[in-house]
Amino acid sequence: MCNCENTYIPIPMKVEKILIENPDRSLRTYDLSFVNEEDRKKFTYMPGQFCEFSILGKGESPFGIASSPTEEGIIKFTVSRTGSVTNEIHYLQEGDIVGIRGPMGNWYPLEKLKGQDVVIVGGGFAFTTLRSMIVFMLENRDDYGKITVIYGARHPDLFIFKEELKEWDKRDDIILHLTVDKPVKGWNKLCGFVPAITKDVKPDPTSWCIVCGPPIMIKFTLPVLLEIGFAHEKIYTSLERRMKCGIGKCGRCGIGSKYICIDGPVFSYEELKKIPDAF
Amino acid sequence: MVKIKKTGLNEFIELLMKDYDVYSPADVGKKTAFKKINSAFEIRHDITNTHLSPKDVFFPQSEVLFQYSDDGLKVPQRNEKPIAVWGMRNCDTSSLMMLNKVFGDAHQMPGKDMYKDPYWKMKYDNCLIFNQACNEPLSTCFCNWFDGNPFAEKGADVFVVDTGDHFILEGVSDKGNAFLAKYKSGEEATKADLDKIAELKKTAESYLPDVIDIKPLFAKMNKIWDEPIWEEISTKCINCGACTFVCSTCHCFDVTDEGKGKKGKRIRLWDSCMFQIFTREASGHNPRGLSTQRVRQRIMHKYNYFMDNYEQHLCTGCGRCVQVCPVNLDIREVIKQVLDYKLSKNEDN
Repeated sequence: MCNCENTYIPIPMKVEKILIENPDRSLRTYDLSFVNEEDRKKFTYMPGQFCEFSILGKGESPFGIASSPTEEGIIKFTVSRTGSVTNEIHYLQEGDIVGIRGPMGNWYPLEKLKGQDVVIVGGGFAFTTLRSMIVFMLENRDDYGKITVIYGARHPDLFIFKEELKEWDKRDDIILHLTVDKPVKGWNKLCGFVPAITKDVKPDPTSWCIVCGPPIMIKFTLPVLLEIGFAHEKIYTSLERRMKCGIGKCGRCGIGSKYICIDGPVFSYEELKKIPDAF
Repeated sequence: MVKIKKTGLNEFIELLMKDYDVYSPADVGKKTAFKKINSAFEIRHDITNTHLSPKDVFFPQSEVLFQYSDDGLKVPQRNEKPIAVWGMRNCDTSSLMMLNKVFGDAHQMPGKDMYKDPYWKMKYDNCLIFNQACNEPLSTCFCNWFDGNPFAEKGADVFVVDTGDHFILEGVSDKGNAFLAKYKSGEEATKADLDKIAELKKTAESYLPDVIDIKPLFAKMNKIWDEPIWEEISTKCINCGACTFVCSTCHCFDVTDEGKGKKGKRIRLWDSCMFQIFTREASGHNPRGLSTQRVRQRIMHKYNYFMDNYEQHLCTGCGRCVQVCPVNLDIREVIKQVLDYKLSKNEDN
């Protein structure tokens, strides 16, 4: 074997904590810790990056990292029970050993955002890397200007990180607009799809905007942001594909000549508009 | 140059087998492929292109990435000798050089620190390539469209010409020369041999199709992404994926686990962008759910995307996809179709 790094080998991780996010138990957040200290030291990442979550015998699936680099020693993922790997992840118990490969891909442009107002638009359980980003910015609060968050879910139960959302809602240095698709009894916040709410909130177009959610939400939110007057190079989004290798070889996540796993997952609208099949 | 009588080739191959695991064109069932051989008598000298490409030698159809059990992970080590491949053709040698850009040391995407693939490197890095001239290119061959030539030496360690009763071997790389120096039984090639080679080359070239200018292909493809041409091209494709499996440059793969309980292995397998499930996500969302999208992906990857990333086309004109396609979707016709295509919208838009 050559002595180059073998990126196909997963890093062993211990399941420290499992949080069931919603009543139908389909969304769970996993706090993983490193089994080996040297792996922990080597693993440095930024908000927006992703990992391949590996269950031996079942395979691997890509997930955005939901924890922030400021939360040392813990790597967090929120997993929706959808296919065979995620099903197996949902069977995990605290204390079990799993594997991750990563961190992979690029990250949100946190350097560029310094000193700027930031608008975050998210939908559903794609809020993971956005949580990473928000926690990171709140930890380094003085580096950033006004932070506005627009977050939508189909139903109030389907928000993730509900406790943190409550805490953020109490703070005066972050403005939270939570919305659900349809009116629900007892829900006293916003109602309507994310693009429509974004239009109503009408964030200041001189700020930078990070959008992450299901493809259909991104597709309809981008025109709203453009209409409000956001500069193309100030809109960022994170894309997702069924990444397998995560290192730009296996061919699944190609969009045009770019690979989401190595050129992305974070792209500016300026870049995306040149790529024909981004959505 | 070293001249070896065909009847004495076994001695040469045996010498080669002392230092290398030797692969060559050979029968595999009813088809031909590059196979590990134990004697020169297994070599199929009489065919130009094998049915399956030699990518399998360095990037096998299935390959164990690691085994897992209660004892942890075990990565397979390659303790065998390095690989030598006899009977490679220029197109195939070129394809390995392309794959070495993706997996190996050859070229990294500009401005990008690319991961190298240890499984590829452990096989490719020390290999010895015998590149054999094609005396009779096939009717499906079109290497000359991609700067290839049946008598090109590019990428070879040793260049081999079959002159009838003899093989003439010429060292191309230092590695190739070093090996040839070990072989003492050869004769020296004569002026008559060189004349014969020149004549064979001329004949071989006459077999090839007329060269078409493919330089405008890349730029043209930048403009046709959302044009109706893709529906025309893909209408008859049945998405069987045969083209991608025989292709010497296609390298998409899947990673999957096989095993029961705590014991098993993680394997990578060739996959194909022609398959609907290739990109289908667990949610049901599929960015390339339509056949047209998939055919466009394959063609664009070959003649546009790869060029964008690695400055060359991902095709060597070996013609295997032309031979194998069950609906006669001829990639040469596709190239011509794209080049001749009149844009439906104004080019300035």
